[in-house]
Amino acid sequence: MSGEALVWPMIVAIGVLTFALRLAPLALLAQLPLPGWLARALRYVPAAVMAAIIAPPLFFAVGAPTIEPDLRRIAAAALATLVAWRTRSTLLAVVLGMLALWGLQAVSA
Amino acid sequence: MPQVPGARAEFLAGIRAFAPLSMSIVPFGLVCGAAAAGSGMSFAQALAMSWVIFAGSAQIASTQLYTAGAPLPVIVATAAIINLRFLIYGASLARHFAGLDRRWQAVIAYLLTDQAYALTIVRAATTRGRGALHWFYLGLGGATWIAWQLASLAGILLGNLVPADWSLDFVVPLTFIAMLVPLLGDRAMLVAALAGGLAAVLLVLPLKLELIAAALIGVAAGLLSEHVGRRRK
Repeated sequence: MSGEALVWPMIVAIGVLTFALRLAPLALLAQLPLPGWLARALRYVPAAVMAAIIAPPLFFAVGAPTIEPDLRRIAAAALATLVAWRTRSTLLAVVLGMLALWGLQAVSA
Repeated sequence: MPQVPGARAEFLAGIRAFAPLSMSIVPFGLVCGAAAAGSGMSFAQALAMSWVIFAGSAQIASTQLYTAGAPLPVIVATAAIINLRFLIYGASLARHFAGLDRRWQAVIAYLLTDQAYALTIVRAATTRGRGALHWFYLGLGGATWIAWQLASLAGILLGNLVPADWSLDFVVPLTFIAMLVPLLGDRAMLVAALAGGLAAVLLVLPLKLELIAAALIGVAAGLLSEHVGRRRK
């Protein structure tokens, strides 16, 4: 299956699986605790996944197969990291990061 | 009307607790809506992403994999791995919600998000209003859900109007940076993030399996760093 025919099965399958993951512990696990090693491993999933979503757009042009660091994007991402670290504000990090990217793109164009 | 004493007050407290969260939920919802609309999904499909799945990171990842032409099993498996964290949240919440009926369990499960989990656990630890915690959760989760749907809708409607050379796709990594940074409280978490990001850039795998591999490598690196850190103490 590919292309547009894939979209509805994809949405339903992810939706059902996600709901099952959300419901299972509430419905079953009250008396059956998660093994310690699994609980510890799952703690790292969000950080690993988020970083894996953040990094590729900094190092690949859209659709390009080879690594080609985009210094403007890396600089804007570094600024957003600093802003997020100091302010803990999503909005400020996103707005300042975008302004930095636009500024750098205007200067280097 | 609710029969639990304090239910109404807890429900309203839950809604109030949502206010600061809106600063992160609304931009993220906009991004998810715009990404879905930009991937060529129909209006109904893009909207269904936000209410059927209702989990931003999995929505973004599956949208990107769909655009990149990944096969269905890979997309679903990637989303499932990203959402495995709900198992911990649920396990940790279960004892606070023990004794609720199936209908409440289903509602609580559907509304479970990173934010709802974090604030409810804090509430459970700090408040004496026990017995009505599920009403706090309902106020918080309900407000989050409504904000998410409205933000997604706005993203779907407005996302396609923005010219490509505005580089608005960059809002995705920026949003994730803002969510990731507060998580990096200890060295093992930092190692997990660095390993995950590095693997996502360096790995070229068939079927777009990079994201799953990066997640597993990041988790392994985090556990390893935790282990090494403990041995040194």
